[in-house]
Amino acid sequence: MNSNPHKPMSSAPNSDFGEETLRLIASLPVPQGLEDRVHEALGAAPRMGKVVAWPAGIRSRFSIESNWMRTAAAAAIVFVVVGGGWGVLNRVEQGQNGKVIVMPARIPASGGFSGAGAIRTPETIPGPTVKQPAKKAAAPKKNRIAQPAASHAAPQPVAQ
Amino acid sequence: MSTSQAIYAGWMEIPTSAVNEDARRRAEDAAIAALVDQYAAALYRVAYSVLRNPSDAEDAVQEAFLRVLRHRHSLAEVRDHRVWLIRIVWNVTLDRKRRAKTRPETDDVAELARVLPAKGLSQEELATAAEHHARVLACVERLPAKEREVLLLSAFEELTSVEIASVLGITESSVRSRLFRARNLMAELLDYERNEHERSLR
Repeated sequence: MNSNPHKPMSSAPNSDFGEETLRLIASLPVPQGLEDRVHEALGAAPRMGKVVAWPAGIRSRFSIESNWMRTAAAAAIVFVVVGGGWGVLNRVEQGQNGKVIVMPARIPASGGFSGAGAIRTPETIPGPTVKQPAKKAAAPKKNRIAQPAASHAAPQPVAQ
Repeated sequence: MSTSQAIYAGWMEIPTSAVNEDARRRAEDAAIAALVDQYAAALYRVAYSVLRNPSDAEDAVQEAFLRVLRHRHSLAEVRDHRVWLIRIVWNVTLDRKRRAKTRPETDDVAELARVLPAKGLSQEELATAAEHHARVLACVERLPAKEREVLLLSAFEELTSVEIASVLGITESSVRSRLFRARNLMAELLDYERNEHERSLR
């Protein structure tokens, strides 16, 4: 039994969770000569991870990792990038303006709403009109309030 | 200190700028060869527990070591080579299983009886045991992937829950909770299978 406190399976060794089967599979013997076959496979694998290698003559004469080689390579890359950019810029014609379509300015009709700069505004269909109910002549209201006293009334002119 | 550990230690102490390329390559080859000798068997068992096919498991081990060869420059930065290698072979194995999507060869009861150890068992007991193992493996296949992975790795005596967590890239508490769920599910599935089996015999 495993006495390792970090071993999660050691808590219930007799319970039937199928773990005995898994343990049997996990402890099966390894086929004969496995290590030798792995060694062979590793020996047959390509050793260098790079696709392009330096020619042997150059590699022996110059140290690839020397500083001046790195500087020269960096300078060559910068030269190619800058030269390419300059060539592209040189071919572009200067002073050629792009075509611009100028839209005619719309003058809003006087008194109406403005088009708010819209290129096209749809014509509106006249909507339904609501008939206004005709006003009836105001009927004389009954005098709910008592007539003012005669003394308050304006003096009527007397016909001569 | 074992031979392989001595090789790793010596290899790690070699300054890159002080030796030429051939000497460094020889040191790397020696270190990888030591890893093969020490861990190939463990990696095979891990691969076999998932694939359950000897040739597929061996191919997975070879592929894992080829990956090590490709990343040999970063080998010196690895703290625990065993867990690192198990993680590699585990990923290789899962990739292979996902691509193949075939039933494991040893789901066959007769094949299980041939593969699994049978010391001191009669023919009848052997057949019963093989049938039981096949039923267990069928139940394992029906578990959710997360629970199944933890259950399979926990069957290895040499792997602690901390190491399982490291292989799967999860926390130790997750390992424990997944294992708890896996065991409960397995108990339910096996119980159900047993009842079905007895009902079919009546």
